Amino acid sequence: MVKKRIAKILSFRYTMMAAILILLAGGLVLLPKYQESEGIPAEQLLSNIISLERYVSTDQISDKLISQDPSFILIDVRSEERYNSYTLPNAINIPLKKLLDKEFESYLNQDQYDVVFFSDDNFYADQAWAICNRLEYKNLHVLKGGINKWFTTIINPKKPNENMSSKAFELYTTRKAASLFYGVVYPDQTKTKSVIKKAPRKIITVKKKKKMPVEGGC
Amino acid sequence: MEFLISTSIIPEQWDSIIAICIGIAFGFVLESSGFSSSRKMAGVFYGYDFAVLKVFFTAAVVAVIGIYYLDYLGYLDVTKLYIHPTYVWGAIIGGAIMGVGFIAGGFCPGTGLCGVAIGKLDAWVYVLGILIGIFIFSELYTVFEPIYNGYYLGNITLIDSFEWNPYWTIFIFSIIAVVAFVVADMVRKKIKKVFY
Repeated sequence: MVKKRIAKILSFRYTMMAAILILLAGGLVLLPKYQESEGIPAEQLLSNIISLERYVSTDQISDKLISQDPSFILIDVRSEERYNSYTLPNAINIPLKKLLDKEFESYLNQDQYDVVFFSDDNFYADQAWAICNRLEYKNLHVLKGGINKWFTTIINPKKPNENMSSKAFELYTTRKAASLFYGVVYPDQTKTKSVIKKAPRKIITVKKKKKMPVEGGC
Repeated sequence: MEFLISTSIIPEQWDSIIAICIGIAFGFVLESSGFSSSRKMAGVFYGYDFAVLKVFFTAAVVAVIGIYYLDYLGYLDVTKLYIHPTYVWGAIIGGAIMGVGFIAGGFCPGTGLCGVAIGKLDAWVYVLGILIGIFIFSELYTVFEPIYNGYYLGNITLIDSFEWNPYWTIFIFSIIAVVAFVVADMVRKKIKKVFY
């Protein structure tokens, strides 16, 4: 009796399977759609945020500037007025409000140079960093402390106390030497007035890399 | 699998070994479902056996529904899947030649190799024919090259080029599949049974 009933049900098996198929396909149509967020996935963004490479120190930048390292672009995200009054050597001005303009895209969206954002502190630079990360641009960094830190460490380094370690003294002499490079004059030097040297702004045009289509086959 | 390979969880050197394993499994399934018989394969054209139509249509529908569910749940990104590039005239002419070969020989290239593996004589002749065809094509490559490499449309899909809604397309496609199965069954019942 049971066997007969099972046989009766099984005789409809193809109909049932076809019904399941159509139900599943219909489910796809009826499922509520959601706008998929474009750009960087959340986990990737988080790992970028806590990455140690996110911040570069003023000492590192000073080092690179002195050794004329060509592998990075300094980007000043402050307003144009502030940029004109003072900026780091060779920096390019991209005000935060104009960050998404087409004309600046080739500076930011490339993977040949390290991009270093800076502002007065690292507040606005961090915002620029976050926006560019969202757009999945690569090699982004922020100058830790911005121009304020630049002044307190490189341009006007604090003299260490006598009871501090020799490393602090070494750092002080390096920073002092660096500040000389940027045109700071110390009273112990018997030099007459010298003009603060501002290196000419260099504009590096960057060719956008073409994305190659995925190759493969069956 | 692509994910596992591209993130180097499985090193690239394993590609061929993975391919061989998948190939053996595929061949086994083909053979055990009777696809190494040219009579069964050709049956779809004469109307006494629609196994080929049913199998390939079901495979396509199940795969596409599964892929879009995985995409919806976020396990897979449809936009990142590999899409085979389209060479329009190459595809049309090649498809016509393949169709003629399919009816005449009773095999498609994959099932032909299955037949070779179990020692079917017609499959041996069929594969020999394939090899001759490859030889002719290679020798006359310079003549065929403009068709082979021309009329290139890129990695396009129906959904992109006609801007169809993928979900409705899949739904309609699966209804077409089910209707095709019903019609095929009706045709099979009307045609005189062939034993093979």
